[in-house]
Amino acid sequence: MSSRRSRSRRSSNSSRITEEQIVELVSKLQDLLPEARSRSSERVSASRVLQDTCNYIRDLQQEVDDLSERLADMLASTEMTSAQAAIIRSLLM
Amino acid sequence: MASVPSSSSSSPSQPKTRKKPGQNSSPAPPPQTKWRTGTQERLYSRRLVDALRATRDRTQVQESVGSRAVKQAADSALALTARGQSRWSRAILFGRNSCRRKLLVKAGGKIRRHRRKQHGVPPVAAEPGVLKEQKVKERLRKLGRLVPGCRKLPAATLLEEAADYVAALELQVRTMRALADALSAATVSAPEEEETAAVDPMAIAEQGS
Repeated sequence: MSSRRSRSRRSSNSSRITEEQIVELVSKLQDLLPEARSRSSERVSASRVLQDTCNYIRDLQQEVDDLSERLADMLASTEMTSAQAAIIRSLLM
Repeated sequence: MASVPSSSSSSPSQPKTRKKPGQNSSPAPPPQTKWRTGTQERLYSRRLVDALRATRDRTQVQESVGSRAVKQAADSALALTARGQSRWSRAILFGRNSCRRKLLVKAGGKIRRHRRKQHGVPPVAAEPGVLKEQKVKERLRKLGRLVPGCRKLPAATLLEEAADYVAALELQVRTMRALADALSAATVSAPEEEETAAVDPMAIAEQGS
């Protein structure tokens, strides 16, 4: 397999990862980040995007943990009027 | 990536699918649109409520539902909603239930059991320039640790998985927050009525949706 590789030749078929593919993936990731809303068109360095992504994922996971705690507390209490249950039902639909 | 839940190249007039028009030939919608459709939100809400009810039913009478159990239920529900089409979702599902095959069927997507080693991974010599920087490599490694099941992936795959995972996490946070807010608003506003209409919130929620 390795004999097919040539350092000077770069093709864009699916088996090889090109610079453009990476750049595109990084910019796709950049668009997902909350920072993208403030600097929409400006291209940031790849390492910065990766750093922001790591921080964002960590923040989101932390939020999930906090929300899990909230939900766990609330699941413990099952007392509720039917009117309140109707509110929940409508919100979930 | 094989079949995608709400996409079809031959029916352009589907309500609430993707927000980008006219992408017939793209293999999969980008993470932003895929995870932000109303369909996905409802789907995940249902799965989340189901999972939470199941968790609560499994808990012993004296114990209370722990936050870790809730988080695991939420993560599993999220992975199910991904239909096992991404590596991180498969990692979550396989990690929880290593013996339960029917969980894969329940997810409904095309899940193939493939070996952990990838064949034909291109050698390092063919890397594009930006990936050779030390900083980028370190951060890629950090990212690989954060996304479940993605520690040893090549860069391009890891970036794709990360994008999908971020969008999915956003959905998870949105849904859980909506559910928590709804539950807390309902419990705080009215006084407790012990004897009369004590209703199980999860049961009603599950029946209603």
